[in-house]
Amino acid sequence: MTTFFSDWYYLSIRNTKQIWRPLLALIPSLFIPIFFFVVNSASLSAFAKVPGFPNVSYKEFIAPVAIFTAIFFSAGNAGIELVQDISSGYFKKLIILPINRLTILLGKLTEVAVQALLQGGLVVVLLLAVGVRFHTGFLGILATFAMLIVFAMSWSCLGITFALRTQNARLVQSLFVLMFPFLYITTSQAPKQLLPPTMALLATYNPITYVIEGVRALVLDNWSNPAIWQGFLTVAILFAVMVSVALSSFQKALK
Amino acid sequence: MIEGKPIIEVKDLTKTYPGDVKAVRGVTFHVKEAEFFGFLGPNGAGKSTTMNMLVNLVRKTSGSITIDGFDAEQQPNEVYKRVGFAMQEVGLDETATAREMLQLHGRLYHLPKAKIDEQIVKLLKLVELEKVADRYTSTYSGGMRRRFDLALSLIHEPRILFLDEPTQGLDPHARQLIWGHLRELNDAGMTIFLTTHFMEEAEALCDRIAIMDKGVIVTEGTVPELLHMHEANTLEEVFLKTTGSSLAEEEVNLKAADPYARTRMGG
Repeated sequence: MTTFFSDWYYLSIRNTKQIWRPLLALIPSLFIPIFFFVVNSASLSAFAKVPGFPNVSYKEFIAPVAIFTAIFFSAGNAGIELVQDISSGYFKKLIILPINRLTILLGKLTEVAVQALLQGGLVVVLLLAVGVRFHTGFLGILATFAMLIVFAMSWSCLGITFALRTQNARLVQSLFVLMFPFLYITTSQAPKQLLPPTMALLATYNPITYVIEGVRALVLDNWSNPAIWQGFLTVAILFAVMVSVALSSFQKALK
Repeated sequence: MIEGKPIIEVKDLTKTYPGDVKAVRGVTFHVKEAEFFGFLGPNGAGKSTTMNMLVNLVRKTSGSITIDGFDAEQQPNEVYKRVGFAMQEVGLDETATAREMLQLHGRLYHLPKAKIDEQIVKLLKLVELEKVADRYTSTYSGGMRRRFDLALSLIHEPRILFLDEPTQGLDPHARQLIWGHLRELNDAGMTIFLTTHFMEEAEALCDRIAIMDKGVIVTEGTVPELLHMHEANTLEEVFLKTTGSSLAEEEVNLKAADPYARTRMGG
């Protein structure tokens, strides 16, 4: 058991170093969420005056989306890095080490969590600097990170699964595009009551809606808002399902 | 002739890939302790698949594999502790330095820190990469990558070293350098299992050779034994007399046509 945790630790360190190697690779995933936040809050600010919109500024309304996007973007790299390891042959070296193979997956997920924390942390600092206030306080910030990091790890399992099943870098990279429908067919840009009926229906079935609403409740509302617990429940279910799928692919890839 | 107990024992080993591609069709052989064993054959003969099954990278269809007394499938971690594997594809972590990779693998083999440090110094010296140990491996030339891969496979002082085409793509100087390292390791008592396409390499290094074709071993023995057995003057002549290529080519073509062949991790 001791070696299980030490192996996990050493693999996490190895993977985490990949976040800033090269350092320039970090810039796009930090720039894009900030870019969307600035552009959307400036160009759509009048939207907050539409009847039925919550009693907050548009900047505050989409602040949770900026944090979510920053963390969402951090989840895509795990699959790409894994497919690189597989293509180069390094993955085979890892799987003939006398370690529990689960630690290889956990090492990847730890990297995702660290990257999510770094990227999300920078965006939160920026939001606080421009006057966005977390109504649930410091604990609310911690809860936001907890929810979104679990979500990022779940999403990264999709990339990991595709990497293991197809070993195709282009396919794994193309998963990035999937983020957009999942992100925009939600209440990220407007409350559900202001969405067209079809979009509102699709958003109801999109689990990411519940994650965004959970974070939004942590930023704009208080702990009694049920959206917070629905958000946590959603990421817990997603995590259980996606990790199981990734683990199963892991075992199949080895046979 | 090497005297000693068998350290690798393979009985009736088979591997059939999906689509009824029979890569290995019932192979039986053994390798003795401290022996330098050569495994030859044309492309698609089943050499790499056999080697990958020995280290549990590919699951066997039937048969048995015992490595240093341990069943390769039932006790894989015991096998992994005892074997080093320098693969045909030199897989390195491009975002790490050579020293970092050696440290990581030393830790994952659960070696004490002092032992890891000692091994790093020794191995970098062995493969003559001390001066570039702190450079990213992505900056290495093909020869440096091969040499480093060899060092990495030796970090835990394995009893058996598996080498899959270790000098492929190297210039004669780099090849001689690797041969020298391998002889040193074998002289020190390490069992070496080598697959190669180069007859001169097999002749120069191996105590005993098995030639595989179409998924079966077609002949086996020391170089003088093989020459005598097949009334040949060179190992290349033995190779040409004992191997056919029609099926092998078919299998290579079949795999080349299947874009997902690599997903099976087969050789």
